[in-house]
Amino acid sequence: MINILRFNVYIPSSLEDALEFLKREGVEAAPMAGGTDLLVLMRDGVKRPRKVLDLWPLRRELAFVKRGDGWVRIGALTTIEELNASGLARDRRYLGFMDAYKQFGAPYLRAIATVGGNIGTAHPLSDVVILLLALDAEVRLVSVDGERWVPLSKLFRGKRETVLTPTELITEVRFKETPKGSSTVLLKFDRRWGHSMGYVIVGAYMHLDGGRIADVRLAFDSMGEPYPGRAFKTEDFLKGKEFRSEVISEACSNVLPREMRRIDDYRASAEYRLDLSKVLMKRALLKIKSRIEGGEAYGGS
Amino acid sequence: MAVAKPESGPREVVEEYPDIKVRITVNGVEREVMVKPYERLIDVLRYKLGLLSVKEGCGRGECGTCVVIMDGHLVPSCMVLAIRANGREVVTLEGLAPEGMIHAVQKAFLDTLGVQCGFCFPGVILATKWLLDRNPDPSDEEIKDALGGQLCRCGSYLRFVEAVKLAAKYIKEGRTYFDVEDVKKELYLRG
Ligand SMILES: Cc1cc2nc3c(=O)[nH]c(=O)nc-3n(C[C@H](O)[C@H](O)[C@H](O)COP(=O)(O)OP(=O)(O)OC[C@H]3O[C@@H](n4cnc5c(N)ncnc54)[C@H](O)[C@@H]3O)c2cc1C
Ligand code: FES
Ligand code: FES
Repeated sequence: MINILRFNVYIPSSLEDALEFLKREGVEAAPMAGGTDLLVLMRDGVKRPRKVLDLWPLRRELAFVKRGDGWVRIGALTTIEELNASGLARDRRYLGFMDAYKQFGAPYLRAIATVGGNIGTAHPLSDVVILLLALDAEVRLVSVDGERWVPLSKLFRGKRETVLTPTELITEVRFKETPKGSSTVLLKFDRRWGHSMGYVIVGAYMHLDGGRIADVRLAFDSMGEPYPGRAFKTEDFLKGKEFRSEVISEACSNVLPREMRRIDDYRASAEYRLDLSKVLMKRALLKIKSRIEGGEAYGGS
Repeated sequence: MAVAKPESGPREVVEEYPDIKVRITVNGVEREVMVKPYERLIDVLRYKLGLLSVKEGCGRGECGTCVVIMDGHLVPSCMVLAIRANGREVVTLEGLAPEGMIHAVQKAFLDTLGVQCGFCFPGVILATKWLLDRNPDPSDEEIKDALGGQLCRCGSYLRFVEAVKLAAKYIKEGRTYFDVEDVKKELYLRG
């Protein structure tokens, strides 16, 4: 038997119990949701928590997709599979979730990987995070001492680093319902469809008002930092302008490169990544437009 | 309880790991096993219960050779802690058909000559079974999505779609199980 890893597990009886545990032992412990990221890091020796806090029992309280009062709320322990089954992705405005689902790993990962875990990994190639950034989502962090809401765009501090303290858990993420005439998309450029991490990922939201870009938000796997971020300047450039090919081309080719810094590594060169970013951004905007105009059947790719 | 060894860093702690009793219904039979907190479902199925169809390819969620069906979900048994299977129902390849029979999915892969070395096949067959349980008439796209995580080093992929469609046809015709002896005769198989 290959027991590469050895650790103890704390099985909490409730959210309060889990938070008490983190208060006592949080510094030496790691919360585990689906474990699809954590277990790999532990296997590789990158993370060595003495104890693992099993979050799965909290699914009773924290696995949900709820809509009401103008908000969409997603529980941290909702799996990628459940997010898709929730029906959110069948709303024309949120077709981006369909994209995220289809491109996410393999079916057997979607069954256990969670939304909260996608956020907790703080990895540049977290698909759901990139879409949620484009939806201007905020994250609820809870500890025994209270709770706070942090905008997703302010949650990451470095690669695999967030502003969470060791005593806090992510319990849910929420975003405002978007207006009619808007839609979302998530595009991932990958060597192999779905199963591995992409080279470049773009998540986008756009609201068109009679041919004019009333609002737009663009999120990429990286804007220069080793975590996902928004292209705020490019968004500002596009806002209020007519949706015309010259405008879009100008934004992709000239505005975006001014605020985006790409890295060279063994997977791809910076030049190639930047080029892909421009192309994917253009495709994303065109796709949203066709979604808004109903030119695409639900779920079509 | 943790006992620190003298003169050692914080990582050199001697930790004790309790044995935890879990009950898992495996292929229809309730089994009681003692597991360590860090043991994975694959460790229990393969090494403690002797279900050798459950294979560890990568141990990190990338290859799909270890997948099993747990409460109707296809899950990688290399990434599920055994304690999480407590009270759940697990199906492995061994549980797909009654003694002396094989399942329509297995028959279809034999018919289409879809199997080469066979290492990846427990996973491929379970993923197919899981797909057809939810979707008896899948499209090419749906088949490719469902089997997209099943790596086959022999590259049998080209036959996957054909085989899954044949399996779907058998099941629709009510031919869910096939007698092993008949199949051997029909396909000139030995052993
Ligand atoms: C083969 C493979 C393919 C993958 N493909 C994709 C892909 O296509 N797209 C993609 O985005 N990702 C992919 N991933 C990465 C990973 O599966 C996702 O990031 C997933 O969403 C992580 O969720 P999880 O529940 O498994 O997280 P876990 O591994 O349980 O946790 C991840 C991190 O977040 C922390 N954490 C988890 N939940 C909480 C919480 N509620 N509060 C505080 N901290 C928490 C954990 O401590 C840990 O540090 C892939 C991984 C593998 C192994
Ligand atoms: S061994 Fe589990 S996915 Fe490869
Ligand atoms: S048949 Fe050999 S690995 Fe798939």
